Amino acid sequence: MVGFTGAVKEFGAVRAVDGLDLTIGTGERVALLGRNGAGKSTSIGLLLGLDEPTSGSVRLFGRAPADAVREGRVGAMLQDTKPVPRVTVKELVSFVAATYPRPLPVAETLELAGLADLAGRRADKLSGGQAQRVSFAVALAGDPDLLVLDEPTAALDVQARRAFWESMRSFTDRGKTVLFSSHYLEEADQNADRVVVIDRGRLIADGSSAEIKRAVGSSHVSFDLPDGSGGQAPAGLESLPGVLSVTVAEGRVRLRTSDSDATVDALPGVVRVRGLEVAPAGLEDAFLSLTDDADRPADPRYASFAPSPVQTPKAGA
Amino acid sequence: MSQATLVSSYVNLELRRTLRDTGFVIFGIGTPVLMYLLFTNVGGGSESTREWAVTAMVGLAAYGALSAGLTSGTAVAEDKAAGWLRQLRITPLSPAQVVVGRALTGSLMVLPAIVVVLLTAMLAGGVSVEPYQWVVLTLLLWVGSLPFTMLGIANGYQLSPQTTNVTNIVTNLLLALVGGLWFPISEFPGWLAAVAEWTPGYRFGELGWATVDGNAPSLTGVAVLAAWLLLFGGYAAYAYRRSGRKA
Repeated sequence: MVGFTGAVKEFGAVRAVDGLDLTIGTGERVALLGRNGAGKSTSIGLLLGLDEPTSGSVRLFGRAPADAVREGRVGAMLQDTKPVPRVTVKELVSFVAATYPRPLPVAETLELAGLADLAGRRADKLSGGQAQRVSFAVALAGDPDLLVLDEPTAALDVQARRAFWESMRSFTDRGKTVLFSSHYLEEADQNADRVVVIDRGRLIADGSSAEIKRAVGSSHVSFDLPDGSGGQAPAGLESLPGVLSVTVAEGRVRLRTSDSDATVDALPGVVRVRGLEVAPAGLEDAFLSLTDDADRPADPRYASFAPSPVQTPKAGA
Repeated sequence: MSQATLVSSYVNLELRRTLRDTGFVIFGIGTPVLMYLLFTNVGGGSESTREWAVTAMVGLAAYGALSAGLTSGTAVAEDKAAGWLRQLRITPLSPAQVVVGRALTGSLMVLPAIVVVLLTAMLAGGVSVEPYQWVVLTLLLWVGSLPFTMLGIANGYQLSPQTTNVTNIVTNLLLALVGGLWFPISEFPGWLAAVAEWTPGYRFGELGWATVDGNAPSLTGVAVLAAWLLLFGGYAAYAYRRSGRKA
């Protein structure tokens, strides 16, 4: 029902989407993962017909995206939208619902989005979390076959995030197709059957989160930073067998490796090891390893994309 | 749901939103009324005063309509900045329905400004014209304000909120002044009067002045105004399409 074929979107000299191929079938719950500037929002803009691809094609329900939108088959929650000024929650949801051919009853939408108590409030006078729920209600209102959510939980605290995903699940349990973007890897792990990782506008991994973790198969080896090293990692670690990256933080040296046994065996030849720990990789590590190339500032075309570190939800944030 | 019902439910929503913007409502209606009272109470007291009360009534009702039409663009620019226009794009509403709905809303918000100036002139200014003239005057000023509403909306789609605001204020002053809505163009130097005859502001006022004189609007005037409507309408359609492109 969703198909990107060699889709390219250029903004001036920058290729935000660079030959994306992706097919999504009915009933799938797909997470679109990538760091800031990876091309997630641009891809979603193409999918919703807000933008035209520079080349390649994007189809939605077998037709041009704008036509599928016009038929009321899609509901979406966009990034960076502020609440609509001077309308009540109920007026807004009722209006959007009325534009769709077979909408959900407004009361049901408000209930699903957790807004039943706020129906009469002005949308521009709500808290950030409440406003996000209004955006979600707007996406649901028409009872669309496909729900597209662009970083739906970006501005929410942990509790609001949990409540949000519960609402989403109660909607998608009705057999809806969902595509959501996120840079919170735990969310992808918990709320999607399929994880699609994009970087620099290209698809770099596609599978269940378990598959992606397995395919990358990296783990972490860490040990105390040796005395007298002046906060620098000892030389020679990068070239040990299996080592993918070396970082130093909080008095520990951290190696990401594709073969922890070989790395550990070779360590004593380079450094005196104290406080050794070996841990399996999470989805985050898989993600880091997949997007590793982007850390090398090789290609000036991407200069305007400042890659930011991948975020994971902070407990109690 | 039919096309017309869709548009009317959109107009309904936008009207509610506009009416809750109390500043817009009060200033939009209050400014031309205040100016009318000021213009007709300074000096005068002679035979020409009565005539001036009618001329100023038409001029300031037209000015109120012009200004209300342009101002609806400011709200459009705000909606664009808040992401509401993009949100509308992903509903089943077509771009044409959104633009038509917006123009209708802007157009309806012009009516109060016209009616209140005419009522003030009737009640406080002692202006009296034939009953049919009141009706024709209101309708012509209402319909004739459409080019300005389109221009305001187009600016809103095209420009940032701040730029829209400044552009609309400057456009408003220029069109009203050069169009002779405040001071009749008969007082203008010859070259400026010649320029004025090509402006939409003057031709808009002329619809009203012809009506209170008991004449039909001039064909030239209607043609000039229609040409401006086409131009501004085209600008609005172009600006709306462009506004959707940038993420």
